Amino acid sequence: MGLRSFVALPVDKQGTVVRLSFDHAGKTKKDQLVISAAHGISARQTFLLGMPYRLSPGGNNRLGDASFLYRQIWLQQDHINGTDRFAVLGGMLLSTEDNRDPAVQIGVVSTHFRDRYELDFDVLYQAGIAHRPDAARYDLSWQYRLAPTEYPKWGIAKEWYGVLELNGRWREGSSITHQVTAGIQWVHPTWVLEGGVIKDINSEKEFRYLMSLRYHF
Amino acid sequence: MRVLKILGLFVLPTLLLPARPALARTVEAEVYGMTCAFCVDTLQREFKKMDSIASVDISLKSKMIRLQTEKDRPTIETIRQTIRDAGFTPEKITIIDKE
Repeated sequence: MGLRSFVALPVDKQGTVVRLSFDHAGKTKKDQLVISAAHGISARQTFLLGMPYRLSPGGNNRLGDASFLYRQIWLQQDHINGTDRFAVLGGMLLSTEDNRDPAVQIGVVSTHFRDRYELDFDVLYQAGIAHRPDAARYDLSWQYRLAPTEYPKWGIAKEWYGVLELNGRWREGSSITHQVTAGIQWVHPTWVLEGGVIKDINSEKEFRYLMSLRYHF
Repeated sequence: MRVLKILGLFVLPTLLLPARPALARTVEAEVYGMTCAFCVDTLQREFKKMDSIASVDISLKSKMIRLQTEKDRPTIETIRQTIRDAGFTPEKITIIDKE
């Protein structure tokens, strides 16, 4: 799974993964905390929840919109050295304040994993209800296992992954913003610590910094 | 009487330890789709929950799991289903030795 998206995460039946992430904008100081959770109903069905909390330099902190998604793996082909998965996504974006309308979300996510690298791609469209503008996003994430170069014969070793992503964010009435994200993941059997730097490609916005912790129980 | 008390001090701790299954079988399963440490921890945890399994070893190198189990439990089908519920595909399952 990449840094910017949560929907590619594999979750086992009755398993739960929680992620706490912090997104820091250097100059404007518009930071964001996001709590995400994924629960496996079965090996192929997952509920995903995301709740952002926006921190503003003027003290006008507020909850963002809660994202509810259902993911159904449609195709899965496991191999001796990897896996290929394709899933569909559907759900809602619900406002935590009365003056914001909700949105319906639909999308797809695919994963291609071979040997030491993983490629994830997801696209999500949010159709606004009433006065809410439409929005969309895409994430193309490449992760490569830096260490260990070779697994031990038995046992689960800790791993380091390098991550490089191309991301896009669009809102109705604006043009799409393309971004590059580069980062690193420290992967343990039950938790992952990861971080990265985000830069807009086609606008003058500042660098942003992302750090998150995932825990599986 | 004193001898009995001393013997009791040695025996009592063993009675308090959880009972381990009588090991009679080693099972190895080839598992497709195992891709990273975070992903395969589930397999280890699910199998360790079973009282008929004494130990679980996972190899991301050879894509295998090795279980030390009781003579007839868990069944091969239970092992296959546990692997599927974890999100992987069980392939060849071999009983390595059986007492």
